[in-house]
Amino acid sequence: MLDMQHISKVYRTELVETHALRDLNLTVAEGEFVAVTGPSGSGKTTFLNIAGLLESADGGHYRLDGVDVGSLGDDARARIRNQKIGFIFQGFNLIPDLDVFDNVDVPLRYRGFAARERRARIERALELVGLAARQRHLPSQLSGGQQQRVAIARAIAGEPRFLLADEPTGNLDSLMARQIMDLLGEINRSGTTIVLVTHDPELARRAHRNIHVMDGEVTDLKPFAPRPAGAPVAVA
Amino acid sequence: MDIRPILSALLRNRTGAVLVGVQVAITLAVIANAFFVIAKRLELVHRPSGNDSANLIFVQSEGYGPEYQHVATMRADLALLRALPGVVAAAPSSSVPESDGGSSSGYLTSPDPKAPVTNANVMEVDPAFLDAYGLKLVAGRKFRPEEYVAEPANNDLPPLVMISESMAKRLYGDAPAVGRPVYDNGGKQGTIIGVVSDMLGSWPRNVRPGPYDIVYHATGGLGRSWRYVVRARLGERDRLIPEIEKRLNEIGNGRAVTWVRPHDFWLLRTFRPDRRMIVFLTTLVVMMTSVTALGIVGLATFHVNARRKQIGTRRALGARRADIVHYFLIENGLLSLAGIVTGALLAWAASGWLASAFQTPPLPAGYVGLAALALLVLGQLAVLWPARRAGAIEPAVATRTL
Repeated sequence: MLDMQHISKVYRTELVETHALRDLNLTVAEGEFVAVTGPSGSGKTTFLNIAGLLESADGGHYRLDGVDVGSLGDDARARIRNQKIGFIFQGFNLIPDLDVFDNVDVPLRYRGFAARERRARIERALELVGLAARQRHLPSQLSGGQQQRVAIARAIAGEPRFLLADEPTGNLDSLMARQIMDLLGEINRSGTTIVLVTHDPELARRAHRNIHVMDGEVTDLKPFAPRPAGAPVAVA
Repeated sequence: MDIRPILSALLRNRTGAVLVGVQVAITLAVIANAFFVIAKRLELVHRPSGNDSANLIFVQSEGYGPEYQHVATMRADLALLRALPGVVAAAPSSSVPESDGGSSSGYLTSPDPKAPVTNANVMEVDPAFLDAYGLKLVAGRKFRPEEYVAEPANNDLPPLVMISESMAKRLYGDAPAVGRPVYDNGGKQGTIIGVVSDMLGSWPRNVRPGPYDIVYHATGGLGRSWRYVVRARLGERDRLIPEIEKRLNEIGNGRAVTWVRPHDFWLLRTFRPDRRMIVFLTTLVVMMTSVTALGIVGLATFHVNARRKQIGTRRALGARRADIVHYFLIENGLLSLAGIVTGALLAWAASGWLASAFQTPPLPAGYVGLAALALLVLGQLAVLWPARRAGAIEPAVATRTL
């Protein structure tokens, strides 16, 4: 699904060069749930940006779903983001002036679906996240957990093959965080590949595989032992 | 991209949008009326004079001494003027066309004093006036030299007159006017012997008499002050002006040549207020539209800066640069349209008030349409720069803390 080889990224200012990623190698198979952990400044967000085609790598090769995305133009990258990738952001990134329905509708409109198709997808996604009754609420009228569930609905409404989650529970209390992680697990079980970026090792334990990034490099790749069913998980 | 979510987002952020909408509305109301006034003034300034205006020179002669002999001096002046190299023709002319000064009189088609009176500009000329002004005989005949009365005893209607085409239409409609009578207010009768191509008379703005309504009398007028119209060959006008002044001052006793001027002198003077109004209103239109454009740029720039994260998120979710640019163009288009509809209503209200208070003509819908189109295009051009800046926001902004 995701194949990154020798990926590097350098941010330059007039005075400083920051090597955010150095020779990063990573392969994620279809249907995997991978957690990327690391301390602040380790390069997690840069990895997520490059993996999600939000920015380009300076060096290396990146194939997403068999496509060499390094050579694609801006519009083609936008199309792949729209059709193949679902994003879940730490701060939810809902559009405050749009209600829940219209927020979930945003990527579907860019996809060019007809109104009836969009409505069916939005209702299905909101049903899945348990917010079917809140379609006409504004984000400001929802709790943090509900907002993140709207963001998840937005991410999955287009049925992407690849979900990128950036600290999806970072702004939530423990109960809501658990609900969100349960939801992500459910989505993964339905076949969607998930890469979760987090600094929280407890959250990372919910993934099939944990990748530790330090100073822009993958320092550790290890599978986790499956968590016993029903066992409680401590979350931040 | 559908309009509904953009409209609903716009309605949830009303303050700035309402301010710019009001600005667009006021600008439209003002510029629609300004366009109308400018068009009317341009029409007035560029109305065809009907004569050979560019080559016409006017001369004023003033008799002052006891030895002054009016008829003899006029004859000598005209003989000299007509003999000057570069002169096509010369004739006495009691007034200067488009000078806002002249004589007018009422004419009737019946001796009954209760019959409708048609006012006209009266010009006292001699038989050479058609050539001197560059006019054409449309029907009938010209004055004959023997029909010219150099020193009439009074101001009564002479027995023979020539009239302009417009005046012929006013008096007799589409029926031939030649050979038909005209009467003055006292019931004195004259006969129309010829119809002359139209030229603007003394008062180009007038409604009554109409600007082209002229009756020509073959008389020399009363008094010691007189004017001549001299038609120069192409390119000779400016050379002839000082020469005419010098040569006329050499003949005739007890008189002075008070001025020799090209026709342009009066055109500039008469239409100066119109030209100033055109410049003033054009400046006003440019300033108001500039301020409105700046308002649109300001609001759009504010929206772009305030929505950087939102734009980055849209880009992350699959919006192309062009989608973001379109978003801002549609948003601004909706804003402009709301302002334009309000402004159109304001413009018509203002026009209605002006029409009732100052008897101005009502504002035609075309001018509101023109102003609306101009503002819509201007608004879209104004928003293009901030919209392109918005389109250039990288999708990675979605994951940054702003």
